[in-house]
Amino acid sequence: MSAFCDFPDLPQRNETAFCKLNEVYCCGNIRYGNVTTFTNATKSHPVINVTRDVHHRTTDENISMYVDVDDHLLKKITSVWYKQGFLEALSVAADPNVNRERPLLAVTASYILKVANVFTTFRYFLQPHLKDIGPKIVANYSRSRNWGNVPIKCLAWHPHTTKIAVVTADDNIRIYCSDTSFVSTLKCKTQGHVSSVSWRPFSASELAVGCEQGVIVWTVDPNSMFTKPSSSNAVLLTRPGHSPVTDVSWSPNGDLLISCSGADTSMLMWDVAMEVAVPLKRVAGGGIVFAQWSFDAGQVFAATSSIIFRVWDTKNWTPERWCARGCRVVAACWGPENILLFAAKGEPMVYALTNTGLLSGSQTSKAVPILDVARVELASGDIVGGPILDMCWDPTGKYLALLFEESRLIAVFCTTHIMMQLKITPCCFVTGIEEELPTTMTFQQNFTEGACLTVAWSSGRVQHFPIVYTDSY
Amino acid sequence: MVTKNDIFSHRLIISVLWNIAMQILLAIVLVWLIQIDLVHPMTWISSTISYIFSWKMFFNIILLGLVSFFQAYIYGSYYMTPMPKYFTRFSMFMNIFSLQNFILSILYALSGYFTMSLYSSLSKTDILKKKCVTYDGQCLVESGLFIQFGGMWMGLYYLMNVHVFNVSTLVFSHMYQGKFQQMKLAINNILSLGFKNSIPPVIYYCLFYYVWGNKPRSAVSEVYNSYLEDPPLDNIFNLFRSGIWISLWLYTSLFFISMYIMKSTFNFILTEPMNFPIESNTHMTIYDALSQRYQFCEYLGAQDLKIMSLSDPARRLQIFTLSQPGGHPKNWNNLLDQCLHIINDFSRQLDTLNHNEQQEIEVSNRNNILNARPHSDRSYDGIRNMAHSPELLHLKNHNKTPAEDSFAVIMEDECKNILNRICQMPGISFFFGELTDTKLKYLLVQAQPVVWVCEGLAFMAAASLKEDKYGVVQNDLAKVITALINLKQNLEKLTKPGLMSRKHVLNDAYAIKMRAALFSSVKRSIYKLVITFSKYMHEIPLDRDVQLAIQPYLLLKEA
Repeated sequence: MSAFCDFPDLPQRNETAFCKLNEVYCCGNIRYGNVTTFTNATKSHPVINVTRDVHHRTTDENISMYVDVDDHLLKKITSVWYKQGFLEALSVAADPNVNRERPLLAVTASYILKVANVFTTFRYFLQPHLKDIGPKIVANYSRSRNWGNVPIKCLAWHPHTTKIAVVTADDNIRIYCSDTSFVSTLKCKTQGHVSSVSWRPFSASELAVGCEQGVIVWTVDPNSMFTKPSSSNAVLLTRPGHSPVTDVSWSPNGDLLISCSGADTSMLMWDVAMEVAVPLKRVAGGGIVFAQWSFDAGQVFAATSSIIFRVWDTKNWTPERWCARGCRVVAACWGPENILLFAAKGEPMVYALTNTGLLSGSQTSKAVPILDVARVELASGDIVGGPILDMCWDPTGKYLALLFEESRLIAVFCTTHIMMQLKITPCCFVTGIEEELPTTMTFQQNFTEGACLTVAWSSGRVQHFPIVYTDSY
Repeated sequence: MVTKNDIFSHRLIISVLWNIAMQILLAIVLVWLIQIDLVHPMTWISSTISYIFSWKMFFNIILLGLVSFFQAYIYGSYYMTPMPKYFTRFSMFMNIFSLQNFILSILYALSGYFTMSLYSSLSKTDILKKKCVTYDGQCLVESGLFIQFGGMWMGLYYLMNVHVFNVSTLVFSHMYQGKFQQMKLAINNILSLGFKNSIPPVIYYCLFYYVWGNKPRSAVSEVYNSYLEDPPLDNIFNLFRSGIWISLWLYTSLFFISMYIMKSTFNFILTEPMNFPIESNTHMTIYDALSQRYQFCEYLGAQDLKIMSLSDPARRLQIFTLSQPGGHPKNWNNLLDQCLHIINDFSRQLDTLNHNEQQEIEVSNRNNILNARPHSDRSYDGIRNMAHSPELLHLKNHNKTPAEDSFAVIMEDECKNILNRICQMPGISFFFGELTDTKLKYLLVQAQPVVWVCEGLAFMAAASLKEDKYGVVQNDLAKVITALINLKQNLEKLTKPGLMSRKHVLNDAYAIKMRAALFSSVKRSIYKLVITFSKYMHEIPLDRDVQLAIQPYLLLKEA
């Protein structure tokens, strides 16, 4: 039986879902409907709509507006060398379309390039995870749909207050807060190709940003009235070979910061104030794509670019190595009592990893499939299920949201943990307006009335979807 | 009872053994590389094995062991004593000529000599004499002398670089992996650093030998009664042509690598987190460790406190239990006393620094809440009131210094004033005047235990909300919050522009980072307490100033 059979029906054609109140799925008209009609739980939440006109970016279309200046060959080569490195400069010199004046240079450059290519091929043979460069790696491993071409790349709620960081397509970070009307925009020269953001627990101001060059830690004074804090508030943490950063994650105690790079086989544990990193590295697995801390900070899940993933015990910093069945782990999340849920790429199945052998000492325990979300067509004609793109579990461990690669719907399930058994039951769908596709999603961390799922849609709209239940109910 | 010396010496012995093992491994790798013979691999392996088990290697291992014990002594004498205070240029200068440095220089020169002759013996370049070809008798092999004399030079260079011009401190990693793992991670860096850092001393040594090389050569020739047959090496052309500088660079790199391996091994083993018992008659407890201010054990104790507060519920439970018989929260009280002592002591030192500075720039509107204490007349409404600790009243009394105006005191003050005035004279102040930021730097460089203690105490108190069955911690929450707020305010004064004179501008990168780490840790600790106890905050009897100070934390508005 499909996991989606007992879900409530999707909203009508001109309607959309706003919230779920005490088991009632509340839908309203797309144009006139409003979540405040049903509940005041998200009344003070910031209204976020990132449209194209707020971006400041030289996109490909903009570049075509500039007239190409015909530079001298040597100048061209040196500028390419300066900006893109020696190998790119060689390929410019060897390119017969660019270099028509100096055939001897072209021939020499092409031969050097061939020698260099042999070495590069050998290097890629040894370290295949280095094949992709920069933004390509981030796009490959990002848990956001179509990461390179969406208005909102990622979101992060503050763990203790109603404050959200939104990364827009122009790699600026906009901070929306419930109690202030103005929006701070964090921007600096080194902040490019932002892959993830994470607020530091037990701090009101620190935000770690994973970007191409490394990790930037911003300190945004909550009392400051500046809408564009200067880059002196940012600290760039870099380490050779550790770029682009594909994920950053603070420990729940706020003392350590993990940064992962799909091109680096070690995961770095930063002591941010001292700007020191300790690499965590084990043989096999390729680059570390993302890491997740368990709620009690006792374990860290680390997914690699291959089928291998590891669960680190943070007391001794020793890993337990696991292999996914078909493909790399694409999404994972920790729940209460150290239950780990994960999904492999291209597979419509959620696995649970309970008691990962650290307590019992047994290494034979297996990851159990707990939810089959095979692709189905609903009565309305919508497709739901299929390969999982991202997965979020609310901080109380009661709701699990799934984002699919091939569906415009987000499926929310109820989860209950009784007698060491995890039971998953249908809850509701979250739908966009018209042709909107969900880009990325996250649960609010300090929502006391239930759970609040925040979804960024492909149109640039951010929706807060509260699932409220009252004790009296 | 296990004393601090026991812990330290035990670790030192383990480090020495590890170091010897690592050095032997390095020597074996070197022998294996030197004997390389790709055409005859079996001969290569057999000759390597026969060399490894030869008496020469055995002798070398004994030498290595000796060198390691030298190093252990050096490190032991360095890390056991609290950091020396240097506040004037003169005292810094005088320290260079201390007895300790004198002994160290001999030890390092010897260790450089031994290590260098060991490595050169592996490649058979350590001989000093040979039979003359043209004369009848013994001739000096200057290259051997060049290398061995170079060994001493490198030992002294290393000493100068690491101990005299830099302060070497134990670096406690923020997360501890196993020794093997750490060594594996460090080895790449050590190799590259060794080869890179050995270039300058080789150049300096070649220059030195060019100028002064004839002196040791003639001295050794006289001792051995030998002639010089080959072209002398104190000539640039001969030196280059002989290629001995390449060997010297290689051996120096090996010497540096062995030194770095030793330093890393000592660092990994000495800084390994220690699990102190909470109650014990035979072993050193966590509060005994914390009570040893500015000592190695304090670091271990503070580190253990933080680890315990984050990830050791069993020991936390032991802290929260009541003693039998008596039913007193003895463990918690002991721990709290030590922690508060560390925090308040640091706070007081910072305050003294701030106070002095402020007096100089005549800013007197300081509102110090260091002496603040919770109102004892206020009642705890919701949480269980075990007992109002009378200790706070004692604290208050201690801080009041009775006014003494005896003749001796006045004379002493006068003398100090005169001395100060003399010290402020232009020429004298350069040498004898206190250096501006050294006091603060001195304080901050030793702040690591304070960072751990703040976090440990706050996380321990936060954990008590769920784990403390008897409610032993809640009575002291006010004390903990007050101490942390005090420290935070004193730290803030260091960074606030306008309040401080320019004298406090730090130029030491480590101290600046440590200040940031301490600040961040204190703020996080306060946040942890305030967020955890936010519902009960109004029931904690806090001083008005402290109550005001925690308001931004309650609203999550403190940056």
